[in-house]
Amino acid sequence: MNTSSAKRGLKIIGITLLIYTVLVASHEGEFWPFSIYPMFSQAGNPWTRAMVIDVTDRDANEMWEVHALDDRTADVVSVGYYNVDQIDFSNFVSKTENWTGSRRNALIGMFGSNVIGDRQWMVSKVKGELIGADSIAIRIIPFIKISSGATELNPNLPESDYFRGNNELDR
Amino acid sequence: MNWTDKLSYQLFEPDRDQTPGEVIFFKLFELFVLFYTIKFAWEWGIYTQFRNIEVVLPLGLANYMDASIFFDYNLALIIAGFITILSVAAFFRLGFKWQYMVVMVLLHIQYVIRFSQGEIPHSQNLIGMAVLCFAIGAWFFPDKKQMPRFVMGSIIFFIGLGYTSAFFAKLVGTGINWYDGRHLWLWIGEKSIDILSREGIYSPNILQTLALQSTAMASLILLIGWMTELIGFTMWWKKLRPYTTLLLIGMHFGITLTMNIRFDAFVFQLILVGFPWYLLIDRYVNKTPLFMKKWI
Repeated sequence: MNTSSAKRGLKIIGITLLIYTVLVASHEGEFWPFSIYPMFSQAGNPWTRAMVIDVTDRDANEMWEVHALDDRTADVVSVGYYNVDQIDFSNFVSKTENWTGSRRNALIGMFGSNVIGDRQWMVSKVKGELIGADSIAIRIIPFIKISSGATELNPNLPESDYFRGNNELDR
Repeated sequence: MNWTDKLSYQLFEPDRDQTPGEVIFFKLFELFVLFYTIKFAWEWGIYTQFRNIEVVLPLGLANYMDASIFFDYNLALIIAGFITILSVAAFFRLGFKWQYMVVMVLLHIQYVIRFSQGEIPHSQNLIGMAVLCFAIGAWFFPDKKQMPRFVMGSIIFFIGLGYTSAFFAKLVGTGINWYDGRHLWLWIGEKSIDILSREGIYSPNILQTLALQSTAMASLILLIGWMTELIGFTMWWKKLRPYTTLLLIGMHFGITLTMNIRFDAFVFQLILVGFPWYLLIDRYVNKTPLFMKKWI
């Protein structure tokens, strides 16, 4: 490569960078493979993840109660064991705003009704936040109970936790 | 010599002759990118075919089309097949000079249909940028002596830029107190839930335990990582490149230990582009193999 080609190379990088900037600026920082790499950019915010707890043998009243992570007594179901991507699962649970029938059934579909069999699994939201100056609190919120053929919402939670948008079809 | 000339000199080294070591290294690097391109194309395609149900988060081109169309009819697998055929042919320089660009577009589509489920992973971004640089290089610098130099130089430019932009994203998103150790506590808690959910069990390692016991230790870990990101752009200077690369690799090990996030392809690619491996090859090889001359 000679000097003039090197200069041309830098111009082409500059044009690519311009396209890069326009695409990430107009797509909230992400247009793969372009990115501003915003992960962890907003520190200190509360977070919500998800996990599945096996409540097959649990008391019907206790299974719906919100409790701290340290007070958990039921076993956690390993979603990786069933080839479900944990991050996808967590995002599906935490970002869905309207839990329509198809969305609830999709939870069963992720694992497969034959896999769930006669067990009862509690899809739970897990919320973490800073408390005071020197500690964090992690709470488990039982959200949707799934079995091989049915889903059930937590009767202790307000309906607004399940339906936030305008789409009220197929509830 | 103005600053753009100096930068192009650092990235493309126009006064250095092409050696057998450079050619051999370039093809090995291209093989590395080819391997990951095909690996990702099939992993994403198979997952999409069997697991994707509804679009939760449209990314990239999925903002302008219904990505769920690709969840059925084996379309994601067909795309993976096309990516494989076109990228292998491009590796052997069979076909057209815009072939890598088609691979780039197909790989982007494969990414946005697979990751329409809410997750925005970044561990495959460097491979994507490498494919893009190969695409631009093959199109605008098809000459055997120019393409390797442009591809490697442009990849180094965008890697350095990416790390430094990550520093500023944190500065803008949170402010100067981003390195407050309690923020690390929150992330360790968040990632521990991900692992507990994925594996069914979780216990913190030594570094995580140390960070959770001391705000000062947690703050120091974040500060070192953040400053390392800031100096990412110093990769553009060839004399600084190996040292910056070492720091970045160290930072990735730190992220893996504290937050259980692995960037395998990222780190492998850093190891390959951050050090002048061609000098090592030149010590043992003094002639470019004939078959490699055809594929360059």
